[in-house]
Amino acid sequence: MKKLIAFLMALTLVLSLCACGPSKEEAKKSDLDYVKEKGTLIVGITDFAPMDYKEKGSDEWVGFDADMAKEFAKSIGVKAEFVEIDWDNKIMELNGKSIDCVWNGMTLTDEVTTAMDCSNAYCNNAQVVIVPKDKADKYKTAADCKKLSFAVEKGSAGKDVAEENKFNYTEVKNQATAIMEVAAGTSDAAIIDSLMAAAMVGKGTSYEKLTYTAALNSEEYGVGFRKGSDLVAKINDFFKNATKDGSMQKIAETYKIQAALIK
Amino acid sequence: MNTFFEYFPTVFQALNEGFLQTLKIFIVTLLGALPLGLIISFGSMSKFKPLFAVTKTFVWIIRGTPLMLQLLIIYYGPGIILQENVWGQGETGRFIATIVAFIINYSCYFSEIYRGGIQGVPHGQQEAGQVLGLSKSQIFFKITLLQMIKRIVPPMSNEIITLVKDTSLARIIAFQEVIWAGEAFLKASNGVPSAIWPLFFTGIYYLLFSGILTILFGLIEKKLSYFRS
Repeated sequence: MKKLIAFLMALTLVLSLCACGPSKEEAKKSDLDYVKEKGTLIVGITDFAPMDYKEKGSDEWVGFDADMAKEFAKSIGVKAEFVEIDWDNKIMELNGKSIDCVWNGMTLTDEVTTAMDCSNAYCNNAQVVIVPKDKADKYKTAADCKKLSFAVEKGSAGKDVAEENKFNYTEVKNQATAIMEVAAGTSDAAIIDSLMAAAMVGKGTSYEKLTYTAALNSEEYGVGFRKGSDLVAKINDFFKNATKDGSMQKIAETYKIQAALIK
Repeated sequence: MNTFFEYFPTVFQALNEGFLQTLKIFIVTLLGALPLGLIISFGSMSKFKPLFAVTKTFVWIIRGTPLMLQLLIIYYGPGIILQENVWGQGETGRFIATIVAFIINYSCYFSEIYRGGIQGVPHGQQEAGQVLGLSKSQIFFKITLLQMIKRIVPPMSNEIITLVKDTSLARIIAFQEVIWAGEAFLKASNGVPSAIWPLFFTGIYYLLFSGILTILFGLIEKKLSYFRS
């Protein structure tokens, strides 16, 4: 019995040591200095056309967000480096410093804005309903969709919308899985970003029989940084300048999303 | 069906690259965990009580929690607690964190298999060694180890084939192994319109690889059957 108590005490001691937490002086260093010192801005992304994706046979990340990120990195004198992340872990990636910002068509939801410091919105978006083509006529508005079972991405803006509308929904790993659920018939419908929907379903894809209908809300995209980061002010300036000199519009036109830009 | 043949080369290449990463985890984990497991098994058979207690607790924690959770803690833990990403940036950092987690996890499982193998060798054999005047290390290497190896082949092959499939857990920290590569095609990627079949196709890789391993272990078992005449 004594041994057991001694062992438990030792265990508590070890655990309490682990819990000491962040060292104070490190946290004081400015995020901008940290990035400049490394010489790279590491951008957390997922494969998400037309925001971040690779052309066939190319190893370079392109897309509206990717091109803007390269420009932004240039403006603060560093190189942009892209790292594919698991979208669920974006906040952990950011806080663990394996990335410096999340810039991937990220909807500014409450969850996002409380966990990160975000830039001003730069792009409009909507959440749309994905249904099989032959049933599309029946589901034009949110009210029509009440009886459907939905698949939504875990922790996404689509999930928030489903909740608001009191839909019957299941949370799945990501937006791609949500669409697969509809294609496989395991869910009646899915809710995903309109920009992504436009790129994912239709002719030539595995989802030829799917289409998107009702737009459930309108929302905005922003870029996320660590809490307290001074890069946020930098990026807002950058967006302002890029809008003024027309470079943002030009990049948007390259990827055909100019209609969604916020001026 | 046309599109299948049109895009197959691109998908095949991407999956091959992914599977190379899977193989890398597999090989490095084995290289690390096979010896480390033996060391841990000595700890769990130690007569020195504190070492015994520490090893047993360690094995209990590692075997008692999911590998997926260990990956998350090992990769994100240091950055969040110390405010410093100890693993280095990019793909290399993720790979190192992945194999650290895998080696620790698998060496604990291996250690128990080793322990069973060592303790399964009849005690009389060690006594016989002592009578013949062999030293402790001679007894271990020449008598115990030799017989242990052939005893542990079936349970080890089981564990190693599990490892083949467990490598897919590394995708939780965005290490781009073959399942990740397959999933990437669910969305339009690399100029290929969104497609579901690449994800299912990854199963072929696992099947082929575990098939090869099964044959290999069958051969090893046959080769090691020398004590039964």
